[in-house]
Amino acid sequence: MAKTNNKTDAKSMKGTVISTKEGLSKAITDFLKQAFEKNCFDTILIPVKVPANDSYAWVLLKDPALLDDANPLAPIMPVQGGKALSSILKHGVTDSSIAAVIRPCEMKAAIELYKLKQVKLDNITLITMDCPGVLPLKDWFKNPDEGEKKFKDIIKKWDDKDVRPLCQICDKFSVPLNEENATYPDLHFGVLGCSDGTGFVIPGSSKGEEILDTVGLTATKEVDKWESKVNEVTTQKRKKRSEAHKALNKEVGGSKNLPVAFALCINCHNCMRVCPVCYCQHCYFDSEALNKPPEVHLMRAAQKGSLLFKPDCLLFQVGRMSHMTLSCVSCGTCEDACPMSIKVGQVFSMVADQSQDAFNYQAGRSKDVPHPLRVFEDEQELDQVVTMCKDILETGEHK
Amino acid sequence: MSEGFEPRIVGFFCKWCTYAGADLAGTSRLQYPPNVLPIRVMCSSRVDPVFLLTAYLRGADAVLIGGCHPGDCHYIEGNYYTRRRVALLKNIFETLKLDTERLRLSWISASEGPRFAKVITEYTENTKKIGPNPAKNKIFI
Repeated sequence: MAKTNNKTDAKSMKGTVISTKEGLSKAITDFLKQAFEKNCFDTILIPVKVPANDSYAWVLLKDPALLDDANPLAPIMPVQGGKALSSILKHGVTDSSIAAVIRPCEMKAAIELYKLKQVKLDNITLITMDCPGVLPLKDWFKNPDEGEKKFKDIIKKWDDKDVRPLCQICDKFSVPLNEENATYPDLHFGVLGCSDGTGFVIPGSSKGEEILDTVGLTATKEVDKWESKVNEVTTQKRKKRSEAHKALNKEVGGSKNLPVAFALCINCHNCMRVCPVCYCQHCYFDSEALNKPPEVHLMRAAQKGSLLFKPDCLLFQVGRMSHMTLSCVSCGTCEDACPMSIKVGQVFSMVADQSQDAFNYQAGRSKDVPHPLRVFEDEQELDQVVTMCKDILETGEHK
Repeated sequence: MSEGFEPRIVGFFCKWCTYAGADLAGTSRLQYPPNVLPIRVMCSSRVDPVFLLTAYLRGADAVLIGGCHPGDCHYIEGNYYTRRRVALLKNIFETLKLDTERLRLSWISASEGPRFAKVITEYTENTKKIGPNPAKNKIFI
């Protein structure tokens, strides 16, 4: 399956078998240790348990001994990995190579940020794994020890009942199979469909193969079982996703329901700050543009009969959608960060699915497909775009 | 709809085409409804979808964005980007079941005074038909 520039034909995917008897996390860290010793990379970006034992944080590791505290499959996601990666590599590449051990949605965010010129991925080895989801932060902080146990169970049974609502309906929990142009992680750890205690390491690029070679493994095993299980779960999740979105649409759609859905919003902008693809240094909604002198508020109140304070909550939500919906990777970090438990992530993912469909685009799927708003097509515009302008173009008397 | 309802339409017009087209309509003494509040922008691509949203959510009965015909942009390609952005906003409106009829993008060149008058007349008529923007009196918007 030797291909360059991260592209592979999904059908020819091969992997090497590893033991996951002590759990997938341990298998990944063991592998990383070996690769570290063989100098496959200089540093590793990975979630590590904080000293208080109640949370996880991204750490750039130089010392392989510290890998004992690391957990590539952390039960929670307080900071999205794409955002962590961007904060390291926003201003250029380093000579030393970094292995980023992130989840599939975090890799998608990293790719979006790469296209938006917010991260440089030249010297990065992307390592992902089949992801069962993460626990909602609110549940986790009730009892972290319990959460840790619960999450072990979730990995074992691949049961999505207690993970974040968006993780429950995530159909991109593994690598994209049978998709053209898709960008693959350099290495992927697959456990779905494998018999107990085993898993696959699947290289997705020549870089990944080299690392496997250096460690002394070769990717020669067929991964059919894993592939068919991934496809099966993907189909299930897609169905669940469209049903969930349909129900949500009924709940929040319409000019009556939408303000109700966001009525609890306290305008804290947490969702925007944690969003991996909301990259602007100065957000329009934080700017002085929306801070008006009292006369303006009084005028608006007089016109309307009443005015909500702080005003423009809905403008913030829908406005943010119009800025980032095409890059939204449906990770659900926004929903975790919302102090008012608004279904913000679910609404955004519903809108994102629709808009990305309309532009025939999937956020984070491919490094090579440009972001729809950064390009245009002259002659053959997208259907959706042309339909939008049709009534105008037909009656136009131009020339 | 209420009797005698006069819609208020916020228009973002590109300086090189639509705004000049509006000028031409005026100097040619063409009659069109006075319901549009024109805002001149240097290019239709200067209009962030958030501007359209702001107007809509703060109670404008309709929003119009006017630019040069595709291929005629003073800045070569600005209006192509506008087209995509407005299509995206329209898609978001559709998903959230908001009034897409209150959004419109029109290409009107500097020589199309009559077309400017026609677009404004039609759009005003249509907005009168669908009635006032429900967001106007909602507190929680």
